[in-house]
Amino acid sequence: MRKLWLIIKREYVTRVKTKGFVIGTLIVPLIGIGFTLLIVFLVGHQSKQSLRFAIVDDAGGIAPAVARGLDAKLPNGQPQFNITETIDRPASSSAAQDGLRDKINSGQLDAYLLIPSDLSKPVELHTKNPGNFSLLEPLTNAVNQAVVEARLNARGVHLDNLRDIVHSADLQVIKVSKEGESVEKGQTIGVAIAIVILLYTSLLMYGIITMRSVLEEKTSRTMEVLISAVNPFELLAGKILGVAAVAFTQFFIWTASLGLVASYGAAMSAMTGGSSVLSGLHLPIPLLIYAVFYFFGGYFLYSSMFAAVGAACSNEQDAGQLQWIAMAPLVFTMVIYSLVLNDPSSRASVILSEIPFFAPVLMPLRVSLQMPPAWQMVLSIALLFAMAVGVIFASAKIYRVGILMYGKRPTLPELARWLRYS
Amino acid sequence: MDAISIENVSKSYDSVNAVSGVNLRVRQGAVLGLLGPNGAGKTTTIRMVMNILVPDEGSILVLGKPVSDETRDSIGYLPEERGLYPRMKVRALIIFLAALHGLSEAEADRRAREWLDRFELGEWSEKKIVDLSKGMQQKVQFITSVIHRPPIVILDEPFSGLDPVNAATIKDVMLEMRDQGSTVILSSHRMEQVEKMCDSICLINHGRSVLDGDLRAIKQSYGKNTVHIEFTGSDAFLNHPAVASVNRFASGVEAKLKPGADAQEILKAAVQSGAQIIRFELLEPSLNEIFIEKTTHA
Repeated sequence: MRKLWLIIKREYVTRVKTKGFVIGTLIVPLIGIGFTLLIVFLVGHQSKQSLRFAIVDDAGGIAPAVARGLDAKLPNGQPQFNITETIDRPASSSAAQDGLRDKINSGQLDAYLLIPSDLSKPVELHTKNPGNFSLLEPLTNAVNQAVVEARLNARGVHLDNLRDIVHSADLQVIKVSKEGESVEKGQTIGVAIAIVILLYTSLLMYGIITMRSVLEEKTSRTMEVLISAVNPFELLAGKILGVAAVAFTQFFIWTASLGLVASYGAAMSAMTGGSSVLSGLHLPIPLLIYAVFYFFGGYFLYSSMFAAVGAACSNEQDAGQLQWIAMAPLVFTMVIYSLVLNDPSSRASVILSEIPFFAPVLMPLRVSLQMPPAWQMVLSIALLFAMAVGVIFASAKIYRVGILMYGKRPTLPELARWLRYS
Repeated sequence: MDAISIENVSKSYDSVNAVSGVNLRVRQGAVLGLLGPNGAGKTTTIRMVMNILVPDEGSILVLGKPVSDETRDSIGYLPEERGLYPRMKVRALIIFLAALHGLSEAEADRRAREWLDRFELGEWSEKKIVDLSKGMQQKVQFITSVIHRPPIVILDEPFSGLDPVNAATIKDVMLEMRDQGSTVILSSHRMEQVEKMCDSICLINHGRSVLDGDLRAIKQSYGKNTVHIEFTGSDAFLNHPAVASVNRFASGVEAKLKPGADAQEILKAAVQSGAQIIRFELLEPSLNEIFIEKTTHA
């Protein structure tokens, strides 16, 4: 046990001390949080000013209706659109547009709308900043209504306020769970997809770290020195547990910092009395616990396979070619997860999520969507850990043979033969 | 009780017989030379003693006990393929490996400093392995194989790549360990070193032990069948029927005699052929010759 502990310690200490770990653990989330805050800041502050806006109406008579439709207000009470001029049926449309373009370029105007004489042609928005999508929805609505109104007028139907009549009904989605009901604004899907991506990338990343670690001992020829002091099983176990401890540290730091940010946001919004953007960020703690639990089950399963791949190869290139064995089930999970996302309790979803190779990603996904029945959870955990033990055992055999084999990359039949070596 | 006793051990990989029927007894306190051509099965044999490989057949006892993780801890091993974690610092690495061999970290640290000073590596203690020259890495690796003072050390080509000064230091350490009662097994292709250092040898060829025992006794068993001759003039006398083979050097020749041949006959023939004899000496065969004979005719 002392040797196992020494190996775990060395693996942990050398990994945690690397620049990669510090960058990955501290700086990447900081950058992520920084960007999120920046975007929140920019979104919150982008449109304090009204958009200076002109309309060229080649069809004639449409512009006032469009203008009526553009009555949206900014958060500070200013109108979103400030219509500076309306040109109704200009003698020369292109001359009028030249003038407006000059104004845009000299900064006197932000955009103009061109209503074609033939209303079956598209209406054009000429703007300096075509990336401002927040304009598109109100503009589209206003133009739509104005055009529909014009067409109805032409058929003798006169309406004062078309908007109230054609206003579409809203559909609100409310998620029902044992904890009660909550209004769904896409956060369930968001969290579900985030969980899938997080688990997939972490399993892959830590698997590859384990593989590289084994490979490093092989290529540096440290292996023979090590196995003259410890047995290969201790070495493999120490490596996998050491990297697991690194993963745990990383998750802990991330979760803790996320928790800090969330509680900071909550405190801020409590103080200001308003709703801060950050107050929407509350951690789904039970989901996190399940995710971490399944991560470690999956980690033991996959990292032992990656370790066996590392042991079977003598260089990075060979390992790159052989690592598909360990990666394939994981990648397949990414192909099938949408099946579970669409219908988490369908028979296919239940069966797929019970399969140990898929369970580490699909089960937390199901938990995030709707809590699966307890027996399904228990069964999947039992299967996952039983499979992990079996795979670790097989990987250890390949590892034991592989760590002393140099030369060409073994074929699959050769790997199968290694399993039978005493 | 022998330090190591190998009985009729065989090991094969797939269809290749790496070792088939090796027998070897190493008495405690001996310095044994483990010899054999490349691919003879030496490394496989050593790995089985280290419990890295498991023999298909036969038995191996280390200090009277069957090979296990426990017996492995009583052996210090310098593998032929050198290598250490490239990015670890020298002293930290030595302490890590010494701790794996059962030393407490404080004791490992104390001894690491001692050994680093002895090999003039003190100022490199905090440098990374990758920053060291090959020879320095070799010395560090040697330290890791003896730091826990194992009763048995197995050194595979310990001198390769070392300058004469460092080679002498390692030789001194080996003899010191022998004097303290350790058993030293030296695997090498440098016959003159084995001849100087070892008191017994084991020669492995094609996976079997073809010769083993006390070095002096082995040499005596060959008798004085070699003649060292320095001369000027014709060398026609070397075609004499009593001469089995000739090994030429700058200063003269070494002629091996056929079994039962009389060296005097050759001297007579040389004188008759008109060669000027400067030196004529009857010798035991060198280990080099024994090696070549055993591995080319066996």
